[in-house]
Amino acid sequence: MSEWVLEARHISKRFGGVQAVQDFSLHLPQGGIISIIGPNGAGKTTVFNLITGVYPLDSGEILLKGEQISGLPQHVITRKGIARTFQNIRLFLGLNVLENVLTALDPDGSYSFLDAVLQLPPKKRGERDSKSRGMELLRMVGLEPYAGEQPANLPYGLQRKLEIARALAAKPKVLLLDEPAAGLNPREVQDFIELVYRLHQDHSLSIILIEHRMQVVMEMSDWIYVMNFGKLLAEGLPTEVQKNPEVIKAYIGEEESC
Amino acid sequence: MGISVSVLVFTCISIIGVSGVFLITGLTGMFSLGQASFMAVGAYTSGLLVVRFGFPFPLAAVVGVGAGVLAGLVVGIPTVRLRRDYVALVTFGFGEAIIAILNNLTQITGGAMGLVGIPPVTTLPFVGISAMLSLFIVWNFKFSRFGRQCIAVRTDELAARSMGIHADGIKLLVFLLAAGFSAYAGVLYGFYTTYVDPGLFNWTRSAEWIIMVFFGGLGSVSGAVLSAILLGTLPEVLRFASEWRILLYCIIVLAIINYRPKGLLGEREIFLSFGKGLRKGGGKP
Repeated sequence: MSEWVLEARHISKRFGGVQAVQDFSLHLPQGGIISIIGPNGAGKTTVFNLITGVYPLDSGEILLKGEQISGLPQHVITRKGIARTFQNIRLFLGLNVLENVLTALDPDGSYSFLDAVLQLPPKKRGERDSKSRGMELLRMVGLEPYAGEQPANLPYGLQRKLEIARALAAKPKVLLLDEPAAGLNPREVQDFIELVYRLHQDHSLSIILIEHRMQVVMEMSDWIYVMNFGKLLAEGLPTEVQKNPEVIKAYIGEEESC
Repeated sequence: MGISVSVLVFTCISIIGVSGVFLITGLTGMFSLGQASFMAVGAYTSGLLVVRFGFPFPLAAVVGVGAGVLAGLVVGIPTVRLRRDYVALVTFGFGEAIIAILNNLTQITGGAMGLVGIPPVTTLPFVGISAMLSLFIVWNFKFSRFGRQCIAVRTDELAARSMGIHADGIKLLVFLLAAGFSAYAGVLYGFYTTYVDPGLFNWTRSAEWIIMVFFGGLGSVSGAVLSAILLGTLPEVLRFASEWRILLYCIIVLAIINYRPKGLLGEREIFLSFGKGLRKGGGKP
Protein backbone atom coordinates (compact mmCIF):
# COMPACT_ATOMS: atom_id res chain seq x y z
CA MET A 1 0.00 0.00 0.00
CA SER A 2 2.75 2.40 0.84
CA GLU A 3 6.03 2.78 -0.99
CA TRP A 4 7.63 4.02 2.21
CA VAL A 5 8.97 1.54 4.71
CA LEU A 6 8.94 4.20 7.40
CA GLU A 7 7.03 7.41 7.44
CA ALA A 8 6.74 10.17 10.04
CA ARG A 9 3.87 12.57 9.51
CA HIS A 10 3.92 15.97 11.14
CA ILE A 11 5.41 14.77 14.41
CA SER A 12 5.91 17.20 17.29
CA LYS A 13 7.39 16.99 20.75
CA ARG A 14 7.70 19.60 23.45
CA PHE A 15 9.81 19.31 26.63
CA GLY A 16 8.56 21.97 29.03
CA GLY A 17 9.33 25.25 27.31
CA VAL A 18 11.42 23.74 24.54
CA GLN A 19 9.80 22.73 21.30
CA ALA A 20 12.24 19.94 20.52
CA VAL A 21 10.56 18.77 17.33
CA GLN A 22 7.90 20.69 15.46
CA ASP A 23 5.76 19.44 12.61
CA PHE A 24 8.52 17.27 11.20
CA SER A 25 7.87 14.73 8.48
CA LEU A 26 10.14 12.21 6.84
CA HIS A 27 9.86 9.40 4.34
CA LEU A 28 12.18 6.45 4.11
CA PRO A 29 11.85 4.43 0.91
CA GLN A 30 12.34 0.66 0.96
CA GLY A 31 16.07 -0.01 0.77
CA GLY A 32 16.96 3.67 0.96
CA ILE A 33 19.52 5.51 3.06
CA ILE A 34 18.43 8.94 4.26
CA SER A 35 20.16 11.33 6.61
CA ILE A 36 19.08 13.87 9.15
CA ILE A 37 21.62 16.64 9.66
CA GLY A 38 21.58 19.88 11.57
CA PRO A 39 23.43 21.77 14.30
CA ASN A 40 23.61 20.42 17.84
CA GLY A 41 20.32 20.60 19.65
CA ALA A 42 18.32 20.70 16.43
CA GLY A 43 16.19 17.76 17.56
CA LYS A 44 17.69 14.98 15.48
CA THR A 45 18.13 12.47 18.29
CA THR A 46 14.67 13.39 19.59
CA VAL A 47 13.28 12.30 16.22
CA PHE A 48 14.96 8.92 16.74
CA ASN A 49 13.58 8.71 20.25
CA LEU A 50 10.10 9.46 18.94
CA ILE A 51 10.36 6.86 16.18
CA THR A 52 11.55 4.17 18.59
CA GLY A 53 8.96 5.03 21.24
CA VAL A 54 11.28 6.32 23.98
CA TYR A 55 8.98 9.35 24.28
CA PRO A 56 5.31 9.55 23.31
CA LEU A 57 4.43 11.93 20.48
CA ASP A 58 2.59 15.16 21.23
CA SER A 59 1.06 15.05 17.79
CA GLY A 60 1.52 13.46 14.43
CA GLU A 61 1.94 9.80 13.57
CA ILE A 62 4.57 7.28 12.62
CA LEU A 63 3.93 4.44 10.21
CA LEU A 64 6.02 1.34 9.61
CA LYS A 65 5.05 -0.24 6.30
CA GLY A 66 1.78 1.60 6.49
CA GLU A 67 1.04 0.37 10.02
CA GLN A 68 0.63 2.89 12.80
CA ILE A 69 3.34 2.32 15.43
CA SER A 70 3.18 5.53 17.46
CA GLY A 71 2.05 4.86 21.01
CA LEU A 72 3.39 1.31 21.12
CA PRO A 73 5.89 0.38 23.85
CA GLN A 74 9.56 0.58 22.92
CA HIS A 75 10.23 -3.15 22.88
CA VAL A 76 7.24 -3.80 20.64
CA ILE A 77 8.42 -1.22 18.12
CA THR A 78 11.85 -2.85 18.09
CA ARG A 79 10.35 -6.25 17.48
CA LYS A 80 8.27 -4.89 14.63
CA GLY A 81 11.54 -4.10 12.91
CA ILE A 82 13.16 -0.85 13.99
CA ALA A 83 16.57 -1.11 15.66
CA ARG A 84 18.98 1.62 16.58
CA THR A 85 22.39 2.55 17.85
CA PHE A 86 23.10 5.35 20.29
CA GLN A 87 25.02 8.57 19.99
CA ASN A 88 26.71 8.00 23.34
CA ILE A 89 27.45 4.29 23.05
CA ARG A 90 25.18 2.29 25.35
CA LEU A 91 26.53 -1.23 25.60
CA PHE A 92 25.69 -3.56 28.47
CA LEU A 93 28.81 -3.41 30.60
CA GLY A 94 28.01 -6.42 32.76
CA LEU A 95 28.05 -8.67 29.69
CA ASN A 96 30.81 -9.64 27.29
CA VAL A 97 30.86 -8.81 23.58
CA LEU A 98 29.02 -11.92 22.42
CA GLU A 99 26.47 -11.66 25.22
CA ASN A 100 25.74 -8.08 24.23
CA VAL A 101 24.68 -9.31 20.82
CA LEU A 102 22.74 -12.18 22.36
CA THR A 103 20.57 -9.82 24.42
CA ALA A 104 18.91 -8.67 21.22
CA LEU A 105 18.24 -12.28 20.22
CA ASP A 106 17.06 -13.30 23.69
CA PRO A 107 13.58 -11.73 23.77
CA ASP A 108 12.77 -13.98 20.83
CA GLY A 109 14.54 -16.99 22.30
CA SER A 110 13.36 -20.48 21.55
CA TYR A 111 13.31 -22.06 25.00
CA SER A 112 10.94 -21.54 27.92
CA PHE A 113 11.47 -20.43 31.49
CA LEU A 114 11.24 -24.00 32.75
CA ASP A 115 13.75 -25.19 30.16
CA ALA A 116 16.05 -22.45 31.42
CA VAL A 117 15.92 -23.07 35.16
CA LEU A 118 15.86 -26.86 34.95
CA GLN A 119 18.59 -26.99 32.33
CA LEU A 120 16.50 -29.04 29.89
CA PRO A 121 17.65 -30.00 26.37
CA PRO A 122 15.75 -27.21 24.54
CA LYS A 123 17.89 -24.71 26.45
CA LYS A 124 21.11 -26.28 25.30
CA ARG A 125 19.90 -26.27 21.72
CA GLY A 126 18.55 -22.73 21.94
CA GLU A 127 21.76 -21.40 23.48
CA ARG A 128 23.86 -23.12 20.85
CA ASP A 129 21.77 -21.67 18.04
CA SER A 130 21.80 -18.13 19.45
CA LYS A 131 25.52 -18.31 20.03
CA SER A 132 26.29 -19.37 16.49
CA ARG A 133 23.97 -16.63 15.21
CA GLY A 134 25.68 -14.14 17.51
CA MET A 135 29.12 -15.18 16.29
CA GLU A 136 27.91 -14.81 12.72
CA LEU A 137 26.87 -11.23 13.43
CA LEU A 138 30.18 -10.52 15.13
CA ARG A 139 31.99 -11.92 12.11
CA MET A 140 30.03 -9.59 9.86
CA VAL A 141 31.36 -6.54 11.67
CA GLY A 142 34.79 -8.03 12.24
CA LEU A 143 34.50 -8.51 16.01
CA GLU A 144 34.71 -12.28 16.13
CA PRO A 145 38.12 -12.37 17.84
CA TYR A 146 36.78 -10.23 20.68
CA ALA A 147 33.72 -12.35 21.51
CA GLY A 148 34.80 -13.04 25.10
CA GLU A 149 36.08 -9.53 25.85
CA GLN A 150 34.38 -6.98 28.03
CA PRO A 151 33.01 -4.21 25.80
CA ALA A 152 34.65 -1.53 27.96
CA ASN A 153 38.06 -2.90 26.93
CA LEU A 154 37.41 -2.38 23.21
CA PRO A 155 38.56 0.72 21.37
CA TYR A 156 35.89 3.23 20.49
CA GLY A 157 35.55 2.24 16.84
CA LEU A 158 34.95 -1.39 17.74
CA GLN A 159 32.38 -0.44 20.36
CA ARG A 160 30.48 1.35 17.62
CA LYS A 161 30.63 -1.77 15.48
CA LEU A 162 29.41 -3.86 18.39
CA GLU A 163 26.41 -1.57 18.73
CA ILE A 164 25.64 -2.17 15.07
CA ALA A 165 25.97 -5.93 15.44
CA ARG A 166 23.66 -5.83 18.45
CA ALA A 167 21.11 -3.76 16.55
CA LEU A 168 21.24 -6.21 13.64
CA ALA A 169 20.52 -9.08 16.02
CA ALA A 170 17.09 -7.55 16.58
CA LYS A 171 16.36 -8.37 12.90
CA PRO A 172 15.46 -4.87 11.83
CA LYS A 173 13.86 -3.73 8.61
CA VAL A 174 14.87 -0.19 9.48
CA LEU A 175 18.13 0.70 11.15
CA LEU A 176 18.61 4.05 12.87
CA LEU A 177 22.24 5.08 13.28
CA ASP A 178 22.83 8.00 15.61
CA GLU A 179 26.19 9.61 14.80
CA PRO A 180 27.87 6.29 14.13
CA ALA A 181 31.05 7.88 12.81
CA ALA A 182 31.58 10.24 15.75
CA GLY A 183 35.00 9.81 17.29
CA LEU A 184 36.35 7.66 14.47
CA ASN A 185 39.58 8.48 12.66
CA PRO A 186 39.51 8.99 8.86
CA ARG A 187 40.53 5.42 8.11
CA GLU A 188 37.92 4.04 10.46
CA VAL A 189 35.33 6.28 8.80
CA GLN A 190 36.07 4.80 5.39
CA ASP A 191 35.98 1.34 6.88
CA PHE A 192 32.69 2.17 8.51
CA ILE A 193 31.09 3.44 5.30
CA GLU A 194 32.01 0.20 3.58
CA LEU A 195 30.59 -1.81 6.46
CA VAL A 196 27.26 0.00 6.37
CA TYR A 197 27.02 -0.43 2.60
CA ARG A 198 27.71 -4.12 2.95
CA LEU A 199 25.11 -4.62 5.67
CA HIS A 200 22.66 -2.51 3.72
CA GLN A 201 23.05 -4.87 0.76
CA ASP A 202 23.14 -8.13 2.67
CA HIS A 203 20.19 -7.45 4.95
CA SER A 204 18.08 -5.36 2.55
CA LEU A 205 18.04 -2.72 5.26
CA SER A 206 16.62 0.74 5.06
CA ILE A 207 18.71 3.18 7.04
CA ILE A 208 18.30 6.56 8.65
CA LEU A 209 21.54 8.23 9.56
CA ILE A 210 22.21 11.13 11.90
CA GLU A 211 25.71 12.35 11.22
CA HIS A 212 27.90 15.40 11.43
CA ARG A 213 30.63 14.16 9.12
CA MET A 214 29.78 15.61 5.75
CA GLN A 215 31.96 13.08 4.01
CA VAL A 216 29.74 10.28 5.31
CA VAL A 217 26.47 12.08 4.76
CA MET A 218 27.21 13.25 1.22
CA GLU A 219 28.59 9.92 0.12
CA MET A 220 25.89 7.70 1.54
CA SER A 221 22.58 9.51 1.51
CA ASP A 222 19.88 9.20 -1.13
CA TRP A 223 18.06 12.09 0.48
CA ILE A 224 18.87 14.54 3.24
CA TYR A 225 16.69 16.29 5.80
CA VAL A 226 18.15 19.36 7.46
CA MET A 227 16.80 20.31 10.88
CA ASN A 228 17.25 23.47 12.87
CA PHE A 229 15.50 24.37 16.13
CA GLY A 230 13.24 21.33 15.84
CA LYS A 231 11.93 22.23 12.43
CA LEU A 232 12.67 21.10 8.91
CA LEU A 233 14.96 23.65 7.36
CA ALA A 234 15.46 22.01 3.99
CA GLU A 235 15.41 18.65 2.27
CA GLY A 236 16.76 17.34 -0.96
CA LEU A 237 19.47 15.44 -2.74
CA PRO A 238 22.95 15.78 -1.21
CA THR A 239 24.09 18.07 -4.00
CA GLU A 240 21.08 20.35 -3.56
CA VAL A 241 21.38 20.54 0.20
CA GLN A 242 25.06 21.32 -0.01
CA LYS A 243 24.36 24.46 -1.99
CA ASN A 244 21.29 25.61 -0.11
CA PRO A 245 22.06 29.04 1.41
CA GLU A 246 19.71 28.41 4.36
CA VAL A 247 21.64 25.31 5.27
CA ILE A 248 24.99 27.03 5.00
CA LYS A 249 23.65 29.80 7.20
CA ALA A 250 22.45 27.39 9.88
CA TYR A 251 25.73 25.53 9.91
CA ILE A 252 28.26 28.29 9.60
CA GLY A 253 26.23 31.15 10.94
CA GLU A 254 25.22 34.43 9.41
CA GLU A 255 27.78 37.06 8.71
CA GLU A 256 27.16 39.73 11.24
CA SER A 257 27.18 43.34 10.29
CA CYS A 258 28.90 45.52 12.79
CA MET B 1 33.16 -25.30 69.67
CA GLY B 2 31.24 -26.75 66.80
CA ILE B 3 28.47 -24.95 65.07
CA SER B 4 25.07 -26.24 66.05
CA VAL B 5 22.59 -27.79 63.67
CA SER B 6 20.22 -24.87 64.04
CA VAL B 7 22.84 -22.43 62.76
CA LEU B 8 23.28 -24.60 59.68
CA VAL B 9 19.52 -24.80 59.16
CA PHE B 10 19.14 -21.05 59.44
CA THR B 11 22.06 -20.54 57.08
CA CYS B 12 20.45 -22.78 54.49
CA ILE B 13 17.19 -20.87 54.88
CA SER B 14 19.15 -17.65 54.41
CA ILE B 15 20.68 -19.05 51.24
CA ILE B 16 17.22 -19.68 49.84
CA GLY B 17 16.06 -16.16 50.70
CA VAL B 18 19.28 -14.64 49.43
CA SER B 19 18.81 -16.54 46.15
CA GLY B 20 15.68 -14.51 45.56
CA VAL B 21 17.31 -11.23 46.54
CA PHE B 22 20.22 -12.04 44.26
CA LEU B 23 17.81 -12.26 41.33
CA ILE B 24 16.07 -8.99 42.19
CA THR B 25 19.00 -6.88 43.34
CA GLY B 26 22.10 -8.54 42.00
CA LEU B 27 20.88 -9.47 38.56
CA THR B 28 18.11 -6.98 37.81
CA GLY B 29 19.12 -4.00 39.96
CA MET B 30 15.91 -3.49 41.93
CA PHE B 31 15.82 -3.11 45.69
CA SER B 32 13.16 -4.96 47.59
CA LEU B 33 12.90 -4.08 51.26
CA GLY B 34 9.77 -6.19 51.57
CA GLN B 35 11.28 -9.54 50.71
CA ALA B 36 10.87 -10.88 54.26
CA SER B 37 7.15 -10.24 54.10
CA PHE B 38 6.84 -12.87 51.36
CA MET B 39 8.64 -15.14 53.79
CA ALA B 40 5.93 -14.29 56.33
CA VAL B 41 3.22 -15.07 53.79
CA GLY B 42 4.78 -18.46 53.14
CA ALA B 43 5.32 -19.27 56.81
CA TYR B 44 1.88 -18.18 57.97
CA THR B 45 -0.08 -19.68 55.08
CA SER B 46 1.52 -23.09 55.36
CA GLY B 47 1.58 -23.00 59.16
CA LEU B 48 -2.09 -22.07 59.45
CA LEU B 49 -3.15 -24.69 56.93
CA VAL B 50 -1.48 -27.41 58.95
CA VAL B 51 -2.33 -26.15 62.45
CA ARG B 52 -5.91 -25.03 61.85
CA PHE B 53 -7.06 -27.14 58.92
CA GLY B 54 -4.96 -30.26 59.24
CA PHE B 55 -3.44 -30.08 55.77
CA PRO B 56 -0.54 -32.46 55.09
CA PHE B 57 2.81 -30.66 55.03
CA PRO B 58 3.67 -31.04 51.31
CA LEU B 59 0.34 -29.60 50.22
CA ALA B 60 0.58 -26.77 52.77
CA ALA B 61 4.09 -26.00 51.55
CA VAL B 62 2.95 -25.78 47.94
CA VAL B 63 0.02 -23.54 48.85
CA GLY B 64 2.34 -21.41 51.01
CA VAL B 65 4.74 -20.85 48.13
CA GLY B 66 1.79 -20.20 45.82
CA ALA B 67 0.45 -17.59 48.23
CA GLY B 68 3.88 -15.93 48.32
CA VAL B 69 4.00 -15.79 44.52
CA LEU B 70 0.47 -14.38 44.46
CA ALA B 71 1.50 -11.69 46.96
CA GLY B 72 4.51 -11.05 44.70
CA LEU B 73 2.15 -10.54 41.80
CA VAL B 74 0.04 -8.06 43.75
CA VAL B 75 3.10 -6.01 44.75
CA GLY B 76 5.01 -6.59 41.55
CA ILE B 77 2.50 -5.41 38.95
CA PRO B 78 2.40 -1.81 40.13
CA THR B 79 6.02 -1.82 41.32
CA VAL B 80 8.07 -2.95 38.34
CA ARG B 81 7.12 0.09 36.31
CA LEU B 82 8.50 2.45 38.92
CA ARG B 83 11.95 3.96 39.03
CA ARG B 84 14.39 1.92 41.07
CA ASP B 85 14.45 4.08 44.19
CA TYR B 86 10.67 3.97 44.39
CA VAL B 87 10.71 0.19 44.15
CA ALA B 88 12.53 0.13 47.48
CA LEU B 89 9.94 2.44 49.05
CA VAL B 90 6.91 0.58 47.77
CA THR B 91 8.20 -2.85 48.73
CA PHE B 92 9.14 -1.49 52.14
CA GLY B 93 5.63 -0.13 52.63
CA PHE B 94 4.08 -3.37 51.47
CA GLY B 95 6.26 -5.43 53.78
CA GLU B 96 5.40 -3.38 56.83
CA ALA B 97 1.71 -3.53 55.86
CA ILE B 98 1.83 -7.33 55.82
CA ILE B 99 3.40 -7.32 59.28
CA ALA B 100 0.69 -4.98 60.52
CA ILE B 101 -2.02 -7.22 59.09
CA LEU B 102 -0.53 -10.29 60.72
CA ASN B 103 -0.32 -8.42 64.01
CA ASN B 104 -3.94 -7.33 63.89
CA LEU B 105 -5.69 -10.44 62.62
CA THR B 106 -5.42 -11.81 66.12
CA GLN B 107 -8.18 -14.44 65.77
CA ILE B 108 -6.49 -16.07 62.82
CA THR B 109 -2.77 -15.47 63.23
CA GLY B 110 -2.47 -15.14 66.96
CA GLY B 111 -1.33 -11.53 66.51
CA ALA B 112 1.84 -10.44 68.22
CA MET B 113 1.73 -13.61 70.34
CA GLY B 114 2.61 -15.51 67.20
CA LEU B 115 1.45 -18.75 65.70
CA VAL B 116 2.32 -21.75 67.83
CA GLY B 117 2.15 -25.48 67.42
CA ILE B 118 3.52 -25.87 63.92
CA PRO B 119 4.85 -29.43 63.67
CA PRO B 120 8.63 -29.73 63.29
CA VAL B 121 9.06 -31.15 59.81
CA THR B 122 12.17 -29.35 58.55
CA THR B 123 15.39 -31.28 58.99
CA LEU B 124 18.93 -30.35 58.09
CA PRO B 125 19.17 -32.66 55.05
CA PHE B 126 15.83 -31.35 53.85
CA VAL B 127 16.85 -27.66 54.00
CA GLY B 128 20.26 -28.55 52.62
CA ILE B 129 18.73 -30.13 49.54
CA SER B 130 16.26 -27.26 49.24
CA ALA B 131 19.09 -24.74 49.31
CA MET B 132 21.01 -26.68 46.66
CA LEU B 133 17.93 -26.79 44.46
CA SER B 134 17.39 -23.05 44.83
CA LEU B 135 20.97 -22.41 43.81
CA PHE B 136 20.63 -24.77 40.86
CA ILE B 137 17.63 -22.77 39.66
CA VAL B 138 19.24 -19.38 40.23
CA TRP B 139 22.45 -20.45 38.55
CA ASN B 140 20.62 -21.77 35.48
CA PHE B 141 18.51 -18.64 35.37
CA LYS B 142 21.55 -16.38 35.43
CA PHE B 143 23.20 -18.21 32.55
CA SER B 144 20.19 -18.24 30.27
CA ARG B 145 18.46 -15.86 27.93
CA PHE B 146 16.45 -14.63 30.91
CA GLY B 147 19.50 -13.86 33.02
CA ARG B 148 21.13 -11.94 30.20
CA GLN B 149 18.03 -9.85 29.74
CA CYS B 150 18.04 -9.08 33.48
CA ILE B 151 21.65 -7.92 33.34
CA ALA B 152 20.87 -5.81 30.28
CA VAL B 153 17.97 -4.18 32.13
CA ARG B 154 20.17 -3.56 35.16
CA THR B 155 22.99 -1.91 33.24
CA ASP B 156 20.92 0.20 30.82
CA GLU B 157 17.18 -0.11 30.83
CA LEU B 158 16.62 2.23 27.89
CA ALA B 159 19.08 0.37 25.70
CA ALA B 160 17.56 -2.92 26.83
CA ARG B 161 14.11 -1.83 25.72
CA SER B 162 15.60 -0.72 22.41
CA MET B 163 16.88 -4.25 21.89
CA GLY B 164 13.32 -5.53 22.13
CA ILE B 165 13.54 -6.61 25.77
CA HIS B 166 10.23 -6.41 27.60
CA ALA B 167 11.80 -4.83 30.68
CA ASP B 168 8.65 -4.71 32.81
CA GLY B 169 7.87 -8.31 31.96
CA ILE B 170 11.31 -9.59 32.85
CA LYS B 171 11.29 -7.60 36.10
CA LEU B 172 7.93 -9.06 37.05
CA LEU B 173 9.17 -12.57 36.27
CA VAL B 174 12.15 -12.05 38.57
CA PHE B 175 9.96 -10.56 41.24
CA LEU B 176 7.63 -13.56 41.22
CA LEU B 177 10.48 -16.03 41.27
CA ALA B 178 12.08 -14.23 44.20
CA ALA B 179 8.78 -14.06 46.08
CA GLY B 180 8.51 -17.81 45.60
CA PHE B 181 11.98 -18.35 47.06
CA SER B 182 11.22 -16.13 50.03
CA ALA B 183 7.92 -17.87 50.69
CA TYR B 184 9.61 -21.24 50.56
CA ALA B 185 12.24 -20.01 53.01
CA GLY B 186 9.35 -18.99 55.25
CA VAL B 187 7.73 -22.41 55.03
CA LEU B 188 10.98 -24.10 56.03
CA TYR B 189 11.52 -21.61 58.82
CA GLY B 190 8.07 -22.07 60.36
CA PHE B 191 8.29 -25.83 60.23
CA TYR B 192 11.68 -25.74 61.88
CA THR B 193 11.11 -23.38 64.78
CA THR B 194 7.46 -24.54 65.19
CA TYR B 195 6.63 -20.95 66.07
CA VAL B 196 6.42 -17.74 64.07
CA ASP B 197 5.51 -14.19 65.02
CA PRO B 198 5.22 -11.13 62.78
CA GLY B 199 8.30 -9.45 64.25
CA LEU B 200 10.54 -12.09 62.67
CA PHE B 201 9.78 -10.89 59.17
CA ASN B 202 10.20 -7.13 59.25
CA TRP B 203 12.37 -5.08 56.94
CA THR B 204 15.59 -5.71 58.86
CA ARG B 205 15.58 -9.26 57.57
CA SER B 206 15.08 -8.00 54.01
CA ALA B 207 17.93 -5.57 54.53
CA GLU B 208 20.12 -8.34 55.92
CA TRP B 209 19.57 -10.36 52.73
CA ILE B 210 20.47 -7.35 50.59
CA ILE B 211 23.63 -6.86 52.65
CA MET B 212 24.53 -10.49 51.99
CA VAL B 213 24.13 -10.02 48.23
CA PHE B 214 26.28 -6.89 48.24
CA PHE B 215 28.83 -8.45 50.56
CA GLY B 216 29.28 -11.41 48.25
CA GLY B 217 29.46 -9.35 45.06
CA LEU B 218 26.48 -8.09 43.15
CA GLY B 219 26.67 -10.25 40.06
CA SER B 220 27.87 -13.44 41.67
CA VAL B 221 25.71 -16.37 42.78
CA SER B 222 28.62 -18.07 44.49
CA GLY B 223 29.47 -14.80 46.22
CA ALA B 224 25.94 -14.62 47.59
CA VAL B 225 26.19 -18.18 48.92
CA LEU B 226 29.59 -17.54 50.43
CA SER B 227 28.43 -14.44 52.22
CA ALA B 228 25.20 -16.09 53.40
CA ILE B 229 27.36 -18.76 55.01
CA LEU B 230 29.91 -16.32 56.42
CA LEU B 231 27.45 -13.74 57.69
CA GLY B 232 25.01 -16.41 58.83
CA THR B 233 27.54 -18.10 61.07
CA LEU B 234 29.45 -14.96 62.04
CA PRO B 235 27.14 -13.98 64.93
CA GLU B 236 27.65 -17.50 66.36
CA VAL B 237 31.40 -17.34 65.97
CA LEU B 238 31.36 -13.94 67.67
CA ARG B 239 29.27 -15.21 70.55
CA PHE B 240 32.28 -14.86 72.89
CA ALA B 241 31.89 -11.09 72.56
CA SER B 242 28.35 -11.31 73.98
CA GLU B 243 26.49 -8.02 73.45
CA TRP B 244 29.35 -6.56 71.43
CA ARG B 245 28.91 -9.08 68.66
CA ILE B 246 26.42 -7.01 66.63
CA LEU B 247 28.89 -4.16 66.67
CA LEU B 248 31.70 -6.49 65.58
CA TYR B 249 29.48 -7.89 62.86
CA CYS B 250 28.88 -4.38 61.50
CA ILE B 251 32.56 -3.50 61.64
CA ILE B 252 33.50 -6.63 59.72
CA VAL B 253 30.87 -5.96 57.04
CA LEU B 254 31.91 -2.33 56.71
CA ALA B 255 35.59 -3.22 56.54
CA ILE B 256 35.07 -5.75 53.76
CA ILE B 257 32.83 -3.43 51.76
CA ASN B 258 35.39 -0.67 52.22
CA TYR B 259 38.34 -2.71 50.99
CA ARG B 260 36.41 -4.66 48.37
CA PRO B 261 33.76 -2.25 47.14
CA LYS B 262 32.46 -4.79 44.64
CA GLY B 263 31.98 -7.41 47.34
CA LEU B 264 33.94 -10.56 48.00
CA LEU B 265 33.73 -11.92 44.45
CA GLY B 266 32.50 -8.96 42.38
CA GLU B 267 31.02 -10.38 39.19
CA ARG B 268 33.02 -13.58 39.24
CA GLU B 269 31.82 -17.06 40.00
CA ILE B 270 33.58 -19.89 41.75
CA PHE B 271 32.79 -23.55 41.19
CA LEU B 272 32.31 -23.08 37.48
CA SER B 273 32.18 -26.81 36.91
CA PHE B 274 28.77 -26.78 38.61
CA GLY B 275 26.41 -27.68 35.76
CA LYS B 276 27.55 -28.06 32.18
CA GLY B 277 28.12 -25.80 29.25
CA LEU B 278 28.32 -22.68 31.39
CA ARG B 279 30.46 -19.73 30.64
CA LYS B 280 32.37 -17.55 32.97
CA GLY B 281 30.58 -14.57 34.41
CA GLY B 282 33.51 -12.43 33.28
CA GLY B 283 34.51 -9.14 34.80
CA LYS B 284 37.58 -7.97 36.61
CA PRO B 285 37.70 -7.22 40.31
